[in-house]
Parts: sequence; structure tokens; C-alpha cells
Amino acid sequence: MIRKIRIAAQGIFLLTFLWLFVQTESKGADDLGYPVKIFLDADPLIFITTIFSSHAWYDTFSLAVGVIVATIILGRVFCGWVCPLGTLNNMVGALQKRRPPRAPLSLHWLKYCLLIFLIVASLFSLQLTGIFDPIALLIRSFSLAVYPAVSYATKAVFDTIFNFNIPVVVNASEFIYMIFKKLWLPFQQPFFLQSAFLGLLFLIILGLNLLEKRFWCKYLCPLGALLGVFSRFAFLQRSVSEGCNSCGACTFDCQGGAAPALKEKWHHTECLLCMNCDDVCPQDSVRFGFFQKTQSAPLDLGKRRVVGMILSGITIVPLVRITGINKQAGASEPKLIRPPGALEEKQFLTRCVKCGECMKVCITNGLQPTLLEAGLEGIWSPILIPRIGYCEYRCTLCGQVCPTGAIRKLELPEKEKVKIGLAMIDKGRCLPYAHATPCIVCQEVCPTPAKAIWLEKAKVMNGNGSELNLKQPHVDLELCIGCGLCEAKCPILGQPAIYITSNGESRSKDNQLLLP
Amino acid sequence: MNRRDFLKTTIITGAAFALPGSPNPLIKALEAAEKTDLVAAHGLSPAAITKTAIDGLGGIKSFISRGDIVVVKPNIGWDRLPAYAATTNPEVVSTVVALCYAAGAKQVKVFDHSVVDPRRCYKQSGISAAATAAGGIVSFIDERKFRDMKLPGVVLKSWPLYTEAVEADKFINIPIAKTHGLSTLTLGMKNLMGIMGSSRGRIHQRIDGSLVDLAMKVSPTLIILDAVRILTANGPQGGDLADVKLLNTVVAGRDQVAVDAYGATLFGLKGSDIGCVVAGNKAGLGTMDLAKLKIKRINV
Repeated sequence: MIRKIRIAAQGIFLLTFLWLFVQTESKGADDLGYPVKIFLDADPLIFITTIFSSHAWYDTFSLAVGVIVATIILGRVFCGWVCPLGTLNNMVGALQKRRPPRAPLSLHWLKYCLLIFLIVASLFSLQLTGIFDPIALLIRSFSLAVYPAVSYATKAVFDTIFNFNIPVVVNASEFIYMIFKKLWLPFQQPFFLQSAFLGLLFLIILGLNLLEKRFWCKYLCPLGALLGVFSRFAFLQRSVSEGCNSCGACTFDCQGGAAPALKEKWHHTECLLCMNCDDVCPQDSVRFGFFQKTQSAPLDLGKRRVVGMILSGITIVPLVRITGINKQAGASEPKLIRPPGALEEKQFLTRCVKCGECMKVCITNGLQPTLLEAGLEGIWSPILIPRIGYCEYRCTLCGQVCPTGAIRKLELPEKEKVKIGLAMIDKGRCLPYAHATPCIVCQEVCPTPAKAIWLEKAKVMNGNGSELNLKQPHVDLELCIGCGLCEAKCPILGQPAIYITSNGESRSKDNQLLLP
Repeated sequence: MNRRDFLKTTIITGAAFALPGSPNPLIKALEAAEKTDLVAAHGLSPAAITKTAIDGLGGIKSFISRGDIVVVKPNIGWDRLPAYAATTNPEVVSTVVALCYAAGAKQVKVFDHSVVDPRRCYKQSGISAAATAAGGIVSFIDERKFRDMKLPGVVLKSWPLYTEAVEADKFINIPIAKTHGLSTLTLGMKNLMGIMGSSRGRIHQRIDGSLVDLAMKVSPTLIILDAVRILTANGPQGGDLADVKLLNTVVAGRDQVAVDAYGATLFGLKGSDIGCVVAGNKAGLGTMDLAKLKIKRINV
């Protein structure tokens, strides 16, 4: 019975997660209308490590604290009942029907090591949590790989039917397509760098369930480890009555691999409260209840592992920051165009958890994950690539969905003033300069109220030797905000004749061109 | 208009046409309306002046027939609020949509190929909400509905155009009057770029000829130039209320060149200052000499 309630709860939370994920998209207004980052807000691991790494408190803490309190009282209910990645792991694990012939790997210590490593690194200002955190990982994988792929496939099917144009069939398919568009398809097909790579990583995580059910949750998840620590002395305890004859029926069904058949030697910290042991017990001797005196095996990693992980957590900090990329990254990396409202680069990196929310919500698809542009620690953090999509002048959505304040939430008047870079003109490619051909597209689209591109009337000679009057564009360095609309619309394809560099971005003191 | 009225008018009109040269007052009225080339209506209510301008040309029924599928093409190119005069006045659009339905149109479709994000443009311009409220079928551009089409043109031989726009029974162009960096002003003919697909930025290389070619192909039934507010600088996107001038005017006409030539006068310019107007005049698309036209100016 409780098992059924648990499955229902998991379903509701997964659907809520997916619904909010789909709603992380503009409908034309400048707010989304739903608390789309609620799962990230409720993530205590992100909460704690962000406070450690950024040395700053952040306001949306009530949910995360709530999850910690719930864990202290009930144990890892979040893992067993709420976590959408846990539920997906459950679903894939269900494909494994028969008991595997070998013993479980029992690598539970691995996730605690990872947790120690992440927390120590965050204490030394390095925020790597987002790479492993289940919620960040899930949203990132969905945003950048799963959803775009599913959308692409769906569109391809409907487009094929549309192009065949068989009378009645096409009407039916277009009708279904319209409903899909309203319900869950993206407004436009998203495209992301590294989507295949990120999708593959996600598939591997899901695939591990075929090796062992909930492999990720048992052995790898650092959030699970953190909640495991909090659940060590949870008020809700499991007791096994005298009737247990150690038949072992519960062992295979235990989602956390907590060895429930071992009675007082079972691993309480691995219990996900799935209640399967209660459900399958042929003797009906399992009870969950408050304030019972029960025993369980201690959480013991061994001193060597703990010390080793602490040292690794410290060592990694200088190690990731001494690569050649770090020399050029930061102030002078021209391609590192951060979203509007992004904090100064060092602070930004202590906060960004690479969840991909900003990339999902970006109205033009211009925000893309970095690979090495921001150094090793900045992997999968957002940069604007104007050729893919510019920064919409009156849009502030990325700052609204950022869970850690790495991108500040800006009010519209401030957003319209924030510079994320500067446009530069390549006279060797620009039509009116290099090719005696009229074109004013960059000036036409420039969104600042007083245009940041001005036109100079010029007389040029064309190939026939005749004189031609045209207008040549110039960038006003004071007015340009670096939104990249000019670069996105420049008719010179491939390598555009006007392009954005991060130079002049408001968030940096050093990366400036003009005297203040 | 109900069915009885419709039948009555049809019968009377039919009878009137059956008697050529008769001194029927209805025919005289029709002829007079026929002769009016442009109407410029001025007044505080955008809806009222829109209706007056159309009535001045003989009423919506002289443009829209029962059962027509009508495309109404406003400027929804930019993510701006109506007060910034970067997009067509939503009230003007909704009035035209409602009038078309009143004339018996079967469907009135409203769309534009926005320059920046369409969701924001449709919403922030207020056009989506206003046109929908008037019963208009507002849709975003569907990339699959562009088809390469031959143009009867000199500069553009063919271009992907939006099939729904080209295949409609009637096409009503509702531009807003604005300045523009290259074509000096953007008026009716420039607004037709909103049915072009592909990388349309390229047409700026030979903009005047391209626009005339496009205007020849699309050939709107009616052009309604929204000059309730005009954008006098930093167009076509604008963004500064100081650049917006309140004119409370709507201009209606059948002749694309004439409407644009008149539009130029709103900015203190002449038709001959606008490249595409000159080119259109030369190509025989219309008349830019306002002195040769019968222009009605009505205050509401």
C-alpha cells in the first residue's frame, strides 16, 4: 500500500518536474508565470556548496532547508519519493526483471568520497557541484540533449507527413502536431553545442541501471550522500521484528542497496524509504515508526579515504586553475560573452552550477554551454554565441531562472543598459566597405533607443569605375551593449562582418576599452 | 449587416448596374467613391479614423466579398510596446479585422515575419491580443509555408514567399509610418518584406527595385497606412518616446505608390525622396504625383 502511494508521489513529482521544465520557455511576456527552478531551490547540496564557494547567503533557501529538516526527521525521502532523476533511474531499473547472477558491487562509499571532495573544493572557492548534482545534471541533460533530440524527432515525423500531403492523414497529423506544440514541444527547435556528448553521458547514467538498479543513486550521487549523512539519526526508523527468518526476500527489492536483511547491521543511511522491504516481507515483520530504538551499521568510509578526498578537494583547486586556458580566460577572452546580469567572472564561477536553466530559457537559443572557453572549472557554463542567437533587448529571463544568482535578476531598465560586450566591424568583409555594395542591416536592427550603429555617407568606386553613394556603418562604443543582434542578422554568413567581443562588458573592471 | 440587408443591397446594386447611364444616385455615389484615390482620416480614435478612411474609399465592401479569405498584414516586426511606434497600432488592426468579417469574409488571417523573437513581438505589440479579440486568426510564421515563387521582377526573379499571403483572396497591407536607415522611410511597400522568407536582409543591397518587384507580385487590395503615431528617428526599431510623433492619422488607398508618396509628406518629405516610390512610379506600379490624385481629408 505505502509502496503504491510512493510510486504515485514519484509520478506526481516527475510530472511536475517535466511540466515546469516545459514551462521554462517564453510566451512573449517577460515572466514565465511558474516557479520553474523550484527543484534546484530545494537542492541542499547546491545550497550548501554555493554558500561555501561564494561566501554569500542567498535568499531562496527555505525549500533547501526544508529538505534537510525532512531528511533529519524522515530520512532520505527526497531520494526515494521526490527526486526526478531517482524516479527515472527507477523506471529504467524496472527493465531489469531478473535478479542478476552476481553480488551487488557495494560501492556506496564512492558517493561519500565524491561529496567530501565537492564540499572541500567548494570551501576553497571551487564550485564543481553542478557537474555531479542530480538536479543540475538532469536539467542540463534534458535542456541541452534529451528535449532537443525528442523535439527534432517529433518535428521530423510530422514534417514528413506534411510533405507527403495525403489529404485526410495530413489534417489529422497537423491537428496532433498543433496539440503537441501547445502542450510540450518547444516554440522553435533548440540547438546546442556538445548536445551529443551531454546526451551520451546521460544515457550512460540511465544505462547503469541495467548493471544494477539505481546505480547512480546508490554509488555516485553526491546529493544522496549528503542526505545520507543527514539521515543517519533520522527519527523515522525501521525495525524488524522477531518473526524475520532472514529469507532475504527484501534484499533484491531494496532500492538503496541497504542490506535490509541484515537486521541490525543494515545500512540506514542507504535507505530511500521506498518501503519495498515492508511490502515484500513474507513474514510481515518489517515496521517503520518514530522513536524506535533500532540499530544499524555505522557509516564508515575509513580514514584513508576521508583524508585522501580532503586532500584531493584541496589539490584540485590550483590544478584546474593553472591550465593555459586560464591565462587567456577572464578579462581578455573575447569569446567569453556572459549573459546579462552575470557576476564578475571569478564570482560567477563560484556560483554557476551549470544546470542549463538559462540556456533552456534563452529566447533566441544564443546561450550555449562552454567547453574550455571559461577554463576547466567553467565547463558547461553559459556563453552567448551571437551567430546562434543574440541577446533579446527587452528580455530578462536568464536572470530569473538562475538558481544561485550567478546571473542576477535584472529589472528591465537596468537590463537595457547592461553591456555584455561590444560590436566590432570587420571592414575587410563588410559590404559597404569592402565590396561597394549598399547594406545597413546592422544599423536597422540595432535595438538601443539611440542607435549604437551610425551610418556615414560615403562615395565609393565600384568595379566599373563609376562612383557610388552609400552608407558605411560605425559602432558607437558608448551606446553599444553587445547584444549581438547585428552579428546574428549580418548577411555575411559564416564569419560575419560585425561581431561581438566581451570587451567592454559591464561586469568587469579590467575588460574595458574606453576610459571610464 | 444581416442577410436581408445584403440581399437588398445586392439587388439594388445589380439593378443600378443594369441601367447604364441612368441618373441613379447610387451609381453617382459609387463613381465618386471610385474616383477618390486616397483618404487621410484624422481624429482621436484610431478605430474611428480607420473606418472613416475605408468608408471614404467606398467602404470595406468594395474590397472584401462574402466568403473571402483575407490576409491582414500589419508590422509586427519588433519587440516594442504600441506607444513606441515601431509596430502597427493594434486598434487599427483589430478594426480592419472586424470590418472584414462584417463584409462577410470567411477567414481573416493576421501574421508577420518578425525580425526579432516573434513571441515577444506578437505579445508586446498588442496586436496578437487585439486581432484575436476581433476574431482574427493570428498565427506565427510556419517555416514550412514558404515557397520559392517567381516574381514578375527586374531585380528579384524569384524568392521564397509565404504561401498563405500569396494565396489569400484579398491582401490588406497595414504598415506603420517610420524612418529607416536605408530606404529613408519604411511605409507600405517596405512592409511587404514581412512575407519574405530566407535571408531577406540581402535585399537591402538593391532595396528599391526589390521592393517594387515584391509589390507587383503581392499587389494588396487595400493599403492602410497607420500614422496614429509615427517614428521620426532611430527607426525602424525605435525605442525612445521622444522620437515618436502623434499624428492621429490613418491613410487608406489602393495605389501602393500613392499611399507611400502621401506617407512621405507626413515626415515633411516628398514621394520623390523615397527610392522605392520613385522606382514604383517608373515601373508603372502606381502614381507618386499627388497633384494628379483625388485626395480626401476627413476630420473625425
